[in-house]
Amino acid sequence: MHLEQRLYETFGYRTFRLGQKEIIEDVLAKNDVLAMLPTGGGKSVCYQLPGYVLSGSVLIVSPLVSLMEDQVQQLKMRGEKRVIALNSFLPDEMKKRALANLQHFRFIYASPEILQSPLWQKALKQIAISLFVVDEAHCISQWGHDFRPDFLKLGAIRRELGNPPCLALTATATKDVRNDIIETLQLTNVRQHLYSVDRPNIAIQVECVDSVDEKLARVLHYAKTLQGPGMIYASSRQWTEVLARKLEAEGIEGVAYYHGGMDSEQRMLVQHQFLCDQLQLVCCTNAFGMGVNKENVRYVVHFHLPSQLEAYVQEIGRAGRDGKNSLAILLYTHGDEDMVQSLIEAELPTEEQVRLFMAYGNDVRSMVEINEVQWRLLHYMVEKERTKARTVEEIIANIQAAIEARKHWKRSKLRQMRSFLFQPFCLREQIVSYFEQRLEKKPAHCCNRCTFSLDSYQFKRQDEPVRAFRGWEEELKRMFWNEEYT
Amino acid sequence: MLSYLLLYCLHRFNGERSLAAVYHLLTGKKSAQTLQDSKWFQLERVFGIYKTLSLGELEQAAMQLLQNQWIVSVDERSYVLTEAGKEALHEWLLSATFFTHLNGLLYDTVDRLFWYRLSLTVQTLSNLVHRHQFIPIHRHEATFAWVRTYLMAKNPHALAQALHDELHTICSSLSEEEATIFTLRLTSFERIGWTNEQIAACLQTDPLYVQLTFQHVLHYMMKRAEREPKQFPILHNVIKDLVKSVSLTLSAQKTYEWLIKGKTIAEIARIRHLKPNTIEDHVVEIAANVRDFSIAPFVAEEARRKIIEAATRLKTRQLKKIRDAVGEEISYFEIRLVLAKAGESSAS
Repeated sequence: MHLEQRLYETFGYRTFRLGQKEIIEDVLAKNDVLAMLPTGGGKSVCYQLPGYVLSGSVLIVSPLVSLMEDQVQQLKMRGEKRVIALNSFLPDEMKKRALANLQHFRFIYASPEILQSPLWQKALKQIAISLFVVDEAHCISQWGHDFRPDFLKLGAIRRELGNPPCLALTATATKDVRNDIIETLQLTNVRQHLYSVDRPNIAIQVECVDSVDEKLARVLHYAKTLQGPGMIYASSRQWTEVLARKLEAEGIEGVAYYHGGMDSEQRMLVQHQFLCDQLQLVCCTNAFGMGVNKENVRYVVHFHLPSQLEAYVQEIGRAGRDGKNSLAILLYTHGDEDMVQSLIEAELPTEEQVRLFMAYGNDVRSMVEINEVQWRLLHYMVEKERTKARTVEEIIANIQAAIEARKHWKRSKLRQMRSFLFQPFCLREQIVSYFEQRLEKKPAHCCNRCTFSLDSYQFKRQDEPVRAFRGWEEELKRMFWNEEYT
Repeated sequence: MLSYLLLYCLHRFNGERSLAAVYHLLTGKKSAQTLQDSKWFQLERVFGIYKTLSLGELEQAAMQLLQNQWIVSVDERSYVLTEAGKEALHEWLLSATFFTHLNGLLYDTVDRLFWYRLSLTVQTLSNLVHRHQFIPIHRHEATFAWVRTYLMAKNPHALAQALHDELHTICSSLSEEEATIFTLRLTSFERIGWTNEQIAACLQTDPLYVQLTFQHVLHYMMKRAEREPKQFPILHNVIKDLVKSVSLTLSAQKTYEWLIKGKTIAEIARIRHLKPNTIEDHVVEIAANVRDFSIAPFVAEEARRKIIEAATRLKTRQLKKIRDAVGEEISYFEIRLVLAKAGESSAS
């Protein structure tokens, strides 16, 4: 069967998107593949389609449980029943059943932690794994923008599973990171498919203003004039709340905030409201986005500058997945980088945390505040040093040095991000060259270094009125009653 | 709102527990100590009702109370209420309608499972009735499985009607505000449920107030669903296999099973490769939670009497003070056991 025919029958698309077919052909030829596709470029098709051609199961490793669940949900909506997500939340009974029938599943999504469990390793070893997929593969590199120490063990795990062919996918990896991926996963004779990070339908604008107040005024202006749905990224949880309240107070309807400090159900509600167009605008931290598959996001505003260009490219990439013209606006005011820097450094373990961890182990969590990122890094560093250093003092000293090195690296990344704002060159070209690529063609709406007019984006159509709430009795009736059937 | 909740806890703790204990209590830490605290000080209802609370927020609320001069510090991070604080608390309690049915300890985590099932059933039925595809609002495999099994081979229209009637009956017995909060949280055809924040903005109140009222409604609903299977057949089905008779930590549960088999503390410690201290913690937890568990094998009647007498006379639950009063021949373990049992009987 032709691949195109398979594509249409399984996914309903007539044609492949850029690069998909070439990647799939290499995957089907059982080569190790490293693929870099632009954000929203249809990475999942690259392993899902082979899942229907190859015999055996496709194992997909993904950094976030929520990302995994989104993917599983989407497959199930398409009618695929032979799919499962392995994570620590799996109820016992289903776990037992899954362990006994693992070969039954066409797609097995797994978190890196689960893959370290001997129980699952044993079960996975007994089945035929046709493809080992690492999604968001830049998480492997400690120089990637979302380093997950657990990903480092994937190379060993892959070997344990008998070295099935591997497909590593990412949207944002510089050359160094790509080399890290190849090395860690021990890819051999790797076929690299590197497509441009550029998203031609996203126009890029950078604005430097004089004060925070002016930034707020700009945000308000955009919220009032730009066609939604839109997203506003801020670097702290508190700012997302401030922005949402401010916009609401100014009469903007359908605004909410989203950040990692909210309880999971509240987060889910905001995400779903946004997906269903019940919200026009979400003010969020970078906790929002991964796995949010919304096609019609028309603009992304950055209220603060991201800590590095990789993160910026990921975040603006949530816009215009439907291919229609979209807009990315970054607002900057003097001193923003200091705030971002202190936030970045708050993600590194402190000396106190290192000492307490060495003395008390996991109990440290009830002794001092320690966030998720600090915790991951601390674990990783201690584990790494313990195999090398002899005394506790030596370990602590080495970790301090590693933290300093990381701080230094992060600062230079931030400097690069900042210089992106101030270089007098085309913004799009800067992004592309940061990833050691060349821009083939400039779109008509490029960036505000080149010329483009916001006019075509400013028109805001009348939003449909939000469904009114007419009291609980009416609402209950509406839920369970369909007039067509009465 | 958080500061009042804190005020309430501090009042019950009466200077005998630190801010950390309040934090563990509100976030629902499943340690023997916190479980016992909630019983001794009769704070069961607020156990685990604010799981996303951070220590920083709580400290800020305490600062606020200090500034208002509603509390004074008695020890490092321990506080008692001033007269003004007591008055403020009294005033607030009159408006705290959500305390009526709220029982965090009894329904801890079960309420979440109940809500998952109920709201996913509502979402599914509503979309089935309107013939619409949807994305489940919860990501919880066990709940998916339950809803799937439950809806299998049932007529969705009839079931939707019946569930509507049950929810209508429940809501009719609530205040307008409570019924509104509950309904707005539900996700259905063409409307994703609202967040606490959105409901609070609409009702011009505090998000935490919305959250607690919502939980209070759930607990009320669960209680009725459990007791009145005839009146609420669907809701009863949702809850019937969720309620457990006793809540013990997993490890304490295992110790309990060995105790039933007649093993001693030292033997269990050896079998389970745990310290005898840990097993003692378990025994205290069991005493606090299992009504017909007798502490007689562990504490002599004479010692028990002395401990009760000292605790009553000194009006304290502080182990150190009681130990000083009863003398060294009685161990901390014995004191904790007796207090756990006493807390259990006075609370029930």
